[in-house]
Amino acid sequence: MMIQVQNLTYFYPYTSNTPALYDVSVTIRKGELILITGPTAAGKTTLCLAIAGILEHEFEGKKSGNVTFKGQDVKLYDGLSELNQHVSMVFDDADAQLIFTSVEEEILSGIQMRGGSTEEIRERMEHVMQVCGITHLRDRPPYALSGGQKQRVAIAATLAMNTECIILDEPTSELDVSATSQIISLLSALKNEGKTVIVVDHSLEEYRLVADRVICMEKGRIHTIGTFEEIYTNKEPVISPEALYKRNDLLPYLPPDGISPIITVKDLVKRYDTILALDGITTDIYPGEFIAILGENGSGKTTLVKHFNGLLRPDVGKIWVNGLDATTAPVTTLVRHTGLVFQNPDTMLFADTVREEILFGLMNVNELDPDAVILDVLSMVGLVGTQEMYPRHLSRGERQRLAVACILAMRPEIIVLDEPTTGLDEAESDTMMQLMERLQQSGHTIIMVTHNMRIAETYADRIIGMENGKITGDYQIKGGISS
Amino acid sequence: MTEILQYIPGSSVLHHLNPVTKLIAVIMIVTLCVFSPNLLFLILLLIFIFFIAVVCKLYHEFLLQLPFLGILILILVLITVLTVSSGPVIGHLIPCAVPIIGGTFPITFGGLLLGLLLSFRFIVMILTFQLFIFSTKPSELVRGLLIFRMPIDYVLMFLITIRFIPSLQMEGRRIHEAQISRGYNPGSGIKGKIKSLRPILIPLVANSLAKTQVIGLTLDMRGYRTKNRLLVHNDSYTRYDALTGIILIFILIGFIFQFTLL
Repeated sequence: MMIQVQNLTYFYPYTSNTPALYDVSVTIRKGELILITGPTAAGKTTLCLAIAGILEHEFEGKKSGNVTFKGQDVKLYDGLSELNQHVSMVFDDADAQLIFTSVEEEILSGIQMRGGSTEEIRERMEHVMQVCGITHLRDRPPYALSGGQKQRVAIAATLAMNTECIILDEPTSELDVSATSQIISLLSALKNEGKTVIVVDHSLEEYRLVADRVICMEKGRIHTIGTFEEIYTNKEPVISPEALYKRNDLLPYLPPDGISPIITVKDLVKRYDTILALDGITTDIYPGEFIAILGENGSGKTTLVKHFNGLLRPDVGKIWVNGLDATTAPVTTLVRHTGLVFQNPDTMLFADTVREEILFGLMNVNELDPDAVILDVLSMVGLVGTQEMYPRHLSRGERQRLAVACILAMRPEIIVLDEPTTGLDEAESDTMMQLMERLQQSGHTIIMVTHNMRIAETYADRIIGMENGKITGDYQIKGGISS
Repeated sequence: MTEILQYIPGSSVLHHLNPVTKLIAVIMIVTLCVFSPNLLFLILLLIFIFFIAVVCKLYHEFLLQLPFLGILILILVLITVLTVSSGPVIGHLIPCAVPIIGGTFPITFGGLLLGLLLSFRFIVMILTFQLFIFSTKPSELVRGLLIFRMPIDYVLMFLITIRFIPSLQMEGRRIHEAQISRGYNPGSGIKGKIKSLRPILIPLVANSLAKTQVIGLTLDMRGYRTKNRLLVHNDSYTRYDALTGIILIFILIGFIFQFTLL
């Protein structure tokens, strides 16, 4: 018996009367691989913190019930300094877990604390860097890496400590398809080494053969526990990374007749120092389209869309947005036509109330009747009644929709979304996408950067595939607007 | 992106020195700076530090800071000249030829000397400290400070402070881009500038605070606060450390010698 949770109920300090965990009981055997899934705010992370003993030793708040780790109550361990000998955890915020100045140093920091000879330490480090696919990053400063790379470094730094129980909270949230399957096979290898692995993630198909049991959580309770087969009876096709940028099963895209494009990109080239981020992009985007730009991490998707509102200017090539030359037009003009919603809504929310938050953009464009617009956009995104709330108290999905509302209020014809479903659960993602469909029907052009294929295929009517700064495929689905 | 106060990878002598040696050198140079009343000694020290920077190929970072250091000297000299008057008058801030207000604000020899003395003290201290940070990995820094029996919580606080600088720079840029996408237009005039800081600073602070918990837990999980298990293993001192010791002794002799000249 590795871990035993008995009737655990927990309230975070300073929160309302809803418990984060309510009467949770579960037993995890040594060598098991457990997948925890569920919508946001279901208590998945809290359960992980409880299992790692962090809740007991580092968090205030009311708790009842108990957690036993290796047959001993976690209360009896001498804090994290003793527990960290047995259990390690990868937190969901990869960036905050990277503290040192090079990837190598980051990974060494955990091992050196555990002693061992210099050769053993080096060997261990080389091993985890290799299995996590980050050997080529060893000298790079972690803060300068991409989201997916950071996530892999954080996982490597944790694995390096070689504890018998490893907990991972959403380790694949920012990874593309190929990196995700790498991580899942890595977890499977850990299981084969006899380690106990607990992972919080979406119910990805790759877990079917890897996970011993799945715990589905909802509103702080365990909803169901069972094998993957029992819970997800329908097999879904495993997505190959090639499918993100090359598809033979889809119809090639045919531009509509008789309409002039709203965005024209011609031979666009963009370099960051030595890296060629965009390598000769040429495409036309027509009014009213719903486009998904698919591609692996680092394929240049985000770089491309940042050119549409003037945040980036091309080194070579031309862009026209709604008749404006986007290589020279001022950003303040371009943002009235292209509204860019960033991946993380928290990079923009600063006001004390939702109303003020939306007002900020409206004042920038000198709106005459702001209150009418605010009501209008809030009802569009389904946030009526939140006007006086503090934006950061909304849920992640609501904050994401508020970010869309802030952009919508400025009435751009084109709405660009950068990874709009990261950090959202399936229900929230669908709410978000249905909102985009409604906006498309009301005449907006929607461009969305994503590596979520399900979302792209369900909602978009055109898919542009990108790889290494190039467009590798242009397809239409659902008939497109030309039909 | 130019990085402020970050470790710069390299293989110079300074990079290979034991962090303890470097810490001793920094503490000694800073202390001597504070107590030295002699401008010549400080200038020689400054030349020495620049020489080290050139040898270790870190002078490029120093050159970037020259404008900042120039402003520092100007302000310090101006303040002391205005507030301290001792010794012979050697000129006036506003030349005597200017009618009515001419001849006010006399520059005295003592005031000017004190201003320069203060400036050079600060510059030597700043550059020495920077040379230390540029050439020492944060993990070695932690090790060095722990050997000096600094409480681990303070050491980690120091580590996290340095670690946050580039993160804040990048996060700040991201927030700036996000706000520009909403038509954000930094205001003009001082009042406008201050007002326009709000949309940038609030998300910056809120997002950084949100990270602190995970940073703390990560350090705990990696065992950084585990008692009685300090990571003082295979500390190697090389001949470079010995050489540094000899150089430090020479500097100390120079420091004492300057008093015999008084």
